[in-house]
Amino acid sequence: MSYYEFFCPVKVIAGQAALEHLPYEFSSRAVKRPMVVTDKGVRNAGLLDKVLAACEEGGMDITVVYDDVPADSSKQTVTAIAKEYRKQKCDGILAIGGGSPIDTAKAVNILVSEGGDDIAQYAGSGVLKRPLKPFFVIPTTAGTGSEVTNVAVIADTEKEVKLPFASGFMLPDAAVLDPRMTLTLPPQITAATGMDAMTHSVEAFTCLAKNPLSDAYAAAAIRKISNNLLKVMEKPDDAERRLELAQASTMAGIAFSNSMVGLVHALGHSLGAACHLPHGLCMSLFLPYVLEYNLEEIREPLSELLLHLAGPEIYAMTPKSQRAEESIATIRKLRDDLHRHCGLPRTLQETGKVEKSQLDRIAQMTIDDGSIMFNPKEASLEDARAVLEKAWA
Amino acid sequence: MIRERLRPLASQAKRTYVQLMLDVVGRSLEAISQVDDEVRGEVAVLPDGFLFSMQVMPKGPALFIRKQRDGSLQYLGGSVAQRPDLSIQFKHLHHAFLVLSFQEKTAQSFANDRMLVDGDLGYAVRMTRVLNRLETFILPRLVASRAVKEYPDNLGLPEKVFSAARIYLKVAMNFVDTVRSS
Repeated sequence: MSYYEFFCPVKVIAGQAALEHLPYEFSSRAVKRPMVVTDKGVRNAGLLDKVLAACEEGGMDITVVYDDVPADSSKQTVTAIAKEYRKQKCDGILAIGGGSPIDTAKAVNILVSEGGDDIAQYAGSGVLKRPLKPFFVIPTTAGTGSEVTNVAVIADTEKEVKLPFASGFMLPDAAVLDPRMTLTLPPQITAATGMDAMTHSVEAFTCLAKNPLSDAYAAAAIRKISNNLLKVMEKPDDAERRLELAQASTMAGIAFSNSMVGLVHALGHSLGAACHLPHGLCMSLFLPYVLEYNLEEIREPLSELLLHLAGPEIYAMTPKSQRAEESIATIRKLRDDLHRHCGLPRTLQETGKVEKSQLDRIAQMTIDDGSIMFNPKEASLEDARAVLEKAWA
Repeated sequence: MIRERLRPLASQAKRTYVQLMLDVVGRSLEAISQVDDEVRGEVAVLPDGFLFSMQVMPKGPALFIRKQRDGSLQYLGGSVAQRPDLSIQFKHLHHAFLVLSFQEKTAQSFANDRMLVDGDLGYAVRMTRVLNRLETFILPRLVASRAVKEYPDNLGLPEKVFSAARIYLKVAMNFVDTVRSS
């Protein structure tokens, strides 16, 4: 008999004019002076202005904005923002952005709620024992799912390690999905983050901690990505479909944070660390090859996914014994189409940033990555190396 | 009525079994680190003096292992005053029983949220591989297949029997030494 746990208390506020709900959400948590944590990209794209205008129109002026979060946030950044938060006497946090501003804001919330200047003392799982300050998130990419995950990673640049934080208390009070916030996302980032969400869903559906609730979110997310990602690539200003992708990303985030991920993420984390490639791209590079590697362990769930990846007609026309292979073929075709649309690399060689001599080190890092624990097949160093070889060209 | 009376006995038996198995695992880890190159390779990455523990929450049975300067592991028993560098904790005695009676694989126990890791996740993955390696050596194939995610294809019977015999011998000697010194 199986056993599982599932937890997601985040209120999701999604759709047209979702931003305009923010003042009410702030007031419902008695937040009068929120601090915005974001990055320059968000400000330069005009996304911050949309949020500030929506709040101002709703009778709430947001005056405290930290917009200098770097791509890989560090302990020092977190300390600096926490200091500013205290100086400005803020009483809640609003993160706007992709993975980095959201992770940074989660860490800042730990410091300003628990006290102290060194975020490292709260690293690990289950360290936090009580609720934090009110926290809200507006994602501006459709891929990470960070708005519904209970983890954050912050770099300790002095010790050259990444500090992981995990606690249910880090989850935001609400996540706001407004199509205006992803409308201007460039094509290659749209494609890579879409494949990130796809990978979250596929691994959630096929790895060891899969469960009925995460399966439901994962399957629905895959359906939305399959139905909308290429359409958005063709027509980037389609707000309806942008919202579909944003919702898919959130659903995928709910799925994988309750079922964990596997070898694609173990390889992707290692490749990202070794070659400084974006996370979503790393996911896209490895997904089909890892599915092939895991095939005999995941044949049943992968066959089931064909319905959501390719639709009912193809599912019905494909013999049961070939559905798993057809699922992989469908993902390969999606990658080919994305490559045609925006040049999203399909192989390590196509990235132009990976040397073949790095593969041994990446394989070694892969088998020490925590995600590998949840992969359905026991992957050895040789196995990881073989998958990397297949993904090479 | 009888069931009610037997319940404390069953619980005590479970606790004793888990305690005994953690003791056996601790001594076996010490032994395998002296005889198996693959385990020595896994352990080599850990810093000298690295303290590892497996314990049942909140204050249940435990095992403590320290990495020695010569690259081997030393079993320290069921309690150590120092805070471990890496601790794998079972949330409940029954969860430990499921794993240590080979009814649930270690990886599945992690996936089922029955175990918590306090410390470096990479080291935890490494120590899990060491535990898996140990189980494939000292358990009959049928039982080991229930304990690990995948029984290694390349582990032949002669190698298994030879290694298992060396591990069992060292464990037996370790037990004798403990009895003598107590």
